[in-house]
Amino acid sequence: MSIQQLRIIGVLVVLLFALALTACSSNEPPPAPVEPPAQTATTPSTTEVVEVPEEQVEIEPVAATEEPISAPDAAPAPEPEPAPAPDPEPEPEPVKRPLDSVRGIVDPTNSGWPREVEGLNGIVTVPAKPLRIITASVGHDEMTLALVPEERLVAVGSATKNATYSNVAALVQEKVEISRDPETIVAQSPDIVVTSPFFSVEGVEALQRAGILVVQTELKHDPEARINSILLMGYIFGEEERASEFADEVQARYDALVAVTSAKEPMPRVLALTQYSDTLWVAGSNSTEGGVITAAGGINAAEEAGIEGNQTTSLEGVIVMAPDIIIIPQPVEFGAEEFRQSLFEIEALAETPAIKNGNVHVVESKHFTTLSYWNIRGAEDLARILWPDDFPNPPADTFSLAE
Amino acid sequence: MQAAGLPSFRSYRLHHYRQIGVAARLAIGAPILLLLVLTVALVSLSLGPVDIPTSHVAWIVLSAFGIDVPAFGRTEQLVIEQIRLPRIIVGASVGMALGVAGATLQGLFRNPMADPGIIGVSAGGAVGAVVAIATGMTGLFFLALPAFAFAGAIAASLLVYGIAAVGGHFSMATLLLAGVAVNAFLGAIVSAIIILLPDNEALREILFWLAGGLDSRAWEHVWIATPLILGSAAVLLLLARDLNLLMLGDDEARSMGVRVGLTRVVLLATAALATGAAVAVSGTIAFVGLVIPHILRLILGPDNRVLIPMSALGGALFVILADTVARTIIEPAEFRVGVLTAFVGAPFFLLLLIKNKRQVYSL
Repeated sequence: MSIQQLRIIGVLVVLLFALALTACSSNEPPPAPVEPPAQTATTPSTTEVVEVPEEQVEIEPVAATEEPISAPDAAPAPEPEPAPAPDPEPEPEPVKRPLDSVRGIVDPTNSGWPREVEGLNGIVTVPAKPLRIITASVGHDEMTLALVPEERLVAVGSATKNATYSNVAALVQEKVEISRDPETIVAQSPDIVVTSPFFSVEGVEALQRAGILVVQTELKHDPEARINSILLMGYIFGEEERASEFADEVQARYDALVAVTSAKEPMPRVLALTQYSDTLWVAGSNSTEGGVITAAGGINAAEEAGIEGNQTTSLEGVIVMAPDIIIIPQPVEFGAEEFRQSLFEIEALAETPAIKNGNVHVVESKHFTTLSYWNIRGAEDLARILWPDDFPNPPADTFSLAE
Repeated sequence: MQAAGLPSFRSYRLHHYRQIGVAARLAIGAPILLLLVLTVALVSLSLGPVDIPTSHVAWIVLSAFGIDVPAFGRTEQLVIEQIRLPRIIVGASVGMALGVAGATLQGLFRNPMADPGIIGVSAGGAVGAVVAIATGMTGLFFLALPAFAFAGAIAASLLVYGIAAVGGHFSMATLLLAGVAVNAFLGAIVSAIIILLPDNEALREILFWLAGGLDSRAWEHVWIATPLILGSAAVLLLLARDLNLLMLGDDEARSMGVRVGLTRVVLLATAALATGAAVAVSGTIAFVGLVIPHILRLILGPDNRVLIPMSALGGALFVILADTVARTIIEPAEFRVGVLTAFVGAPFFLLLLIKNKRQVYSL
């Protein structure tokens, strides 16, 4: 290699480095000043300057200043709520449940707009009541439909439309379908996107860069967290009263169940077992199925064996866990019944209590795996299996919906 | 013929290994490795979530040979006979298949970096399995998944070979490049199916199959894979001498009486068959076909009459060992053996490469 060639390569490297530096610096968002949201005809908003501390996520500049909160091309929306007027002391709406203990609400005394919530992506200011909502998660879609009129949920993912996974599939068949591509969400001009922790950080950032208001909320497995999610989402959507009413409904069903199941002795050891291809899966601690088993008055055999979350296991693992009851929260389309039958044909499992006593049950998987209040329904289903004398009648088929 | 850019196997420094003859190397190495395989298999047989005393394991094994032994539990016997033993045999077979196929292809391509995936077998098997899962065929009959994976593996290798033999003129360089292209194409098909698949469960199945595993292997898997693998290994061993001559170049091989074209086809087809059978029952288990023959070549030299049988034993040993760790490390949950082989194999392989840089370069 000659000196000349080396020089050319050196120049090229310097040029590339300079280009890379330029590209990096141009990707950084400009230090956007926090501007007051624009007041529009459809959603008159406050003109107060929102004070955002440094550590908070800046969300609103593009959406709030350049786009009306309710997109102009939106389908005829219901009459907007009374304008969140720039009144320094907005008239509080009647709220049944106190919001003080709801995780994620920054100022529970503020029932006007703008309001702040703290999601996993930081503190987010919601400037006005969102009329066009997208959630990008089956569990969130289920909760949203319980809280707001159906037309305010403008688009859903394919899983929410799929009755195998979703408990609200029948309600959303006509809705626009979004995908994992943030552009499909942006195209629907949502006022807000409420996402689960499973939505990628890159996706959240892409939506925020496009000026979309994003709140990423937790999705935990315990019933208390479910109530918290309902109240928090109700607050985000400006539907505190409905959220309070709905939380009471869910709480009442849960309390009625637990009142019976918590007093039962001895508690049977239950294993949530599924099989996809040849791989066996069990649900341990911190799994949705585990929460359902506990609520129904059972002991999660996988949790007891030290398994955390959803993990693969072997037939030997099943033998060791020695469950009294095996439930199969697997869609029938994915061979749940065949799997149930096959368990009885495995000689090595013959002495496992659940197999020996014929206590293997295929259950409705979407009640057990969704991350929403529908898990209460799963617990009710399971309680009927565990304690048939105490729960002779089938539970209510569904939950109430927002009107 | 020498593929462009590939290191020449003419430069084998066979004299390093000539000091110990083929028969001696086999006579020393094979019993040692075989003993290791049997020992590890026995240890593996006594380990698992169900606590079975080692003495009971021994009695269960001995009773299988009709020897009178003290009593043991029925469940213990079933766990050993129906769960652990078939799994260990499938693991050994898979390791054996990947080992012999890797050794053969490294010889054929005259490239120590070749592995069974190079002729599209693994990618083809993956497409077959993914199609079976995505279309719900796995629910139709018990062995649908291995059947589809095997069909995919064989179809892909035929396609790669067909491309290399287009116009009646076969070229190893074209075979290599066709393998790269077909692998990329089949990988794209798998990715496309994963992206477009709406079912979470099917996605989970696919991802786990692709990670390679031996969970829930039963005697049915032993019967469908092991005879094919043993037969393939035997054919490759019989052709080991011809493979040695092919490594010297086509002209040299021809002058020594080797029917170059036919031998090459048989070697390729047999390696594909062994790998296809392995992929069908285990998914894609990474690194075994590359690392085992490579390590053994560094230790025992490049003579395929030694390398092929030793790679069979070495592969079996490695997979049984990895699977034992996979199924006991987080018991009663399981780890994926394919992930573990790559985790363990890759750093070990790199270490060996660095330590034996000069020797590897000469290969």
